[in-house]
Amino acid sequence: MTGLTAGNAIGQARLAIREAALRRRLHAAAAGASPTLEIDLDDHGLDVAALVRAVVAGLPPGGPEVERLATAFEQGQISDQVIGGLAAADTVLQIRSAKVVGALRLERAIPWLAPLLTGQNRAVCDAAARALGRIGGARSAEALIGVIQRSGPSRILVTELARAAPDQFLESALKHPPRGPARWAAAAAAGLRRRRPAVTPLIALLASGSRRERAISCKALGWIGATSAIPAITAALMDREPRVRAAAEKALKAVSHPGRRAAGHPRGMH
Amino acid sequence: MSAELKTVGLPGIGSGGAVARGDANRLSGQADIRRRQESDWPAYRDMVQRVAVLERTPVFFALDQGTQRLLATRLRRVAVAAGDLVLCQGEPGDTIFFVEEGRCRLVVERPSSSVTVAKLAPGDFFGERACVLKRPQPASVYADTDCSLLALDRASLHAVLGREQAVLEQLGKVADERSSVFAEMTEQASWGMFLHEATVVGVYSPKGGTGGTCMSLNLVGSLARRFPGQVLHLDLDFPYSHAALLAGLVPTSSLARAGAAPIDSFEEALLSAVLYHRGGPMILAGALRPEEADEVTPDLVTRAIGVLRKTFKYIVVDLGVAINDSTLALLDLTQHVVLVAAPELTAVKSAADAVSIMLELGTPDSRLTVVLNNRSPKSSVTRSAVEQILGRPVDVEVGYDGVRPELAAVNGDILSLTNPKSEITRGAEALAELLEAIHGRNDTAWEPARLPTAAPSEKDTVS
Repeated sequence: MTGLTAGNAIGQARLAIREAALRRRLHAAAAGASPTLEIDLDDHGLDVAALVRAVVAGLPPGGPEVERLATAFEQGQISDQVIGGLAAADTVLQIRSAKVVGALRLERAIPWLAPLLTGQNRAVCDAAARALGRIGGARSAEALIGVIQRSGPSRILVTELARAAPDQFLESALKHPPRGPARWAAAAAAGLRRRRPAVTPLIALLASGSRRERAISCKALGWIGATSAIPAITAALMDREPRVRAAAEKALKAVSHPGRRAAGHPRGMH
Repeated sequence: MSAELKTVGLPGIGSGGAVARGDANRLSGQADIRRRQESDWPAYRDMVQRVAVLERTPVFFALDQGTQRLLATRLRRVAVAAGDLVLCQGEPGDTIFFVEEGRCRLVVERPSSSVTVAKLAPGDFFGERACVLKRPQPASVYADTDCSLLALDRASLHAVLGREQAVLEQLGKVADERSSVFAEMTEQASWGMFLHEATVVGVYSPKGGTGGTCMSLNLVGSLARRFPGQVLHLDLDFPYSHAALLAGLVPTSSLARAGAAPIDSFEEALLSAVLYHRGGPMILAGALRPEEADEVTPDLVTRAIGVLRKTFKYIVVDLGVAINDSTLALLDLTQHVVLVAAPELTAVKSAADAVSIMLELGTPDSRLTVVLNNRSPKSSVTRSAVEQILGRPVDVEVGYDGVRPELAAVNGDILSLTNPKSEITRGAEALAELLEAIHGRNDTAWEPARLPTAAPSEKDTVS
């Protein structure tokens, strides 16, 4: 073994030891054995954020362990460091911080995540969107739909909106929207979430929306599989826009053959 | 008012600047990030209204004012039109809704029917089971009128009450209690006690010749005296359905023939097969010929009962002596079973077996009535012996009535309508009174119960 390889091996061993130690501290905090937590997000060589996410992913979703871990972060004032990382100049730190606040569902980080949605760095924007999706709640959804309305939607923004939006949020957005991308983004999100209460406003949007809104409403109704929407979708087969007609045709097939639809809710929601 | 889409107050987004109110710490540099008060507080009057809603609501009314105000800032107003679906049964959820204005109803939806288990008015809340316990919605919620709801999502709930474990536990307890109440009410509704649907009574005699058809016809007569035109006799005593004949009627159609009608006209075909007896009861033959009996399938029985129970107050079904698929399907739909036995050894033994079968099929003991029909002047088995063999008391004993039943059959009379002195009539009257005592209800409109609460107070009305 050459000296270079030996040095790499020793470095990797040290990294593994630090990683294992951090993992133990995180599990201890989640188990309630340690009420506070002291970690350094900027630990060189160690992806702390990924480790936190991995530990949280192994815990029962929404269970007391995650709550205890979040509390330990708060009481150890690590949360301040984590939230501060969202405003750092270093994009790697921003992304790590976003991943950690998302994993721990730190609701008070929302005001610091929201500005990142319109940043220059695509990876930071996506990390912020995902964090908001994981945190969930009306405020996260409002931040996401706000940036969609101002800057236009993206696949990730719509997906995370679907994840974050609480009950009746998307339905209200469909009923009382400003004109713009927010409405059809809400329609798409409602379809992704398979929200049955959204069927009525989607049918209304199908009847009176713009070309894009009508097409997306058709798709959303197809994803939801609401048989009560069949008359409205059938009427859309005669729409003047070919995209709407194509979307209506697909939606009718999906509604008529439930086995073809993807079942259940997107992973990670609730 | 709709859910707010503007992200006022969030740094860098939306109109207006960030204005912090109250006792919030202000940002002082990147190194000193503390918890920051949300800047988009509602207007004063709106805050007062929101707090007032919380003060009227169980569990939340007991919170201190500061916590109530914090919660009030996190509430999101949702406008729902009459008839709209607010929450869908079985879906996951993450929001508690407080009724600010208007009325909603909770509906448990089943494959064959739906049951309204609660009505919600201002001061009620719903959605807590999904939000707090993270379980699927136990019922759908529909808006009866245009409603204004205040929504509190899980993230906000935990942000404000995260350390108030007692409150969260109490909410969980309320959610569990309500689930139990809904399940019980739905179970009762499956017995047809709600929505003013008919009480279905199955009359079964495990041995032929014990008088099952006679008792079922006379029971119908007794009930029809109380409720003329609202009592139906359904004859499923196959293969020879003689009830119409015994009542002096000539059927021209039957349940089996109605089953052959198109789905759209099934109800019409079924009701047009019903015969009207001059004394008040109605009679529906199961089949006109023995070979038609096979056409009376469990599915047809279920569909027919589904139609008939909306039209009548009582449906008395003569189940005959056989227990087949149709009988089993019907037993699932009955609210009461009457077992007719004669004081003969073989008949009592068969009755004992039948009682075991009924209980195994899930018939509650309180909904099973045993009728001892004395068809001869001297019985070979005494009543006490019958009770001992059956393992339960005889509820109604019908005395020996001589030749009256046979004469009535020849004349097409129903004794309980024409001869008050008949033993059959006395027995039928006793049975009708028993059924009315258990299943009878007044004619005032039934209102579902208000939701139960974990912390009743003078502000709450629990019914």
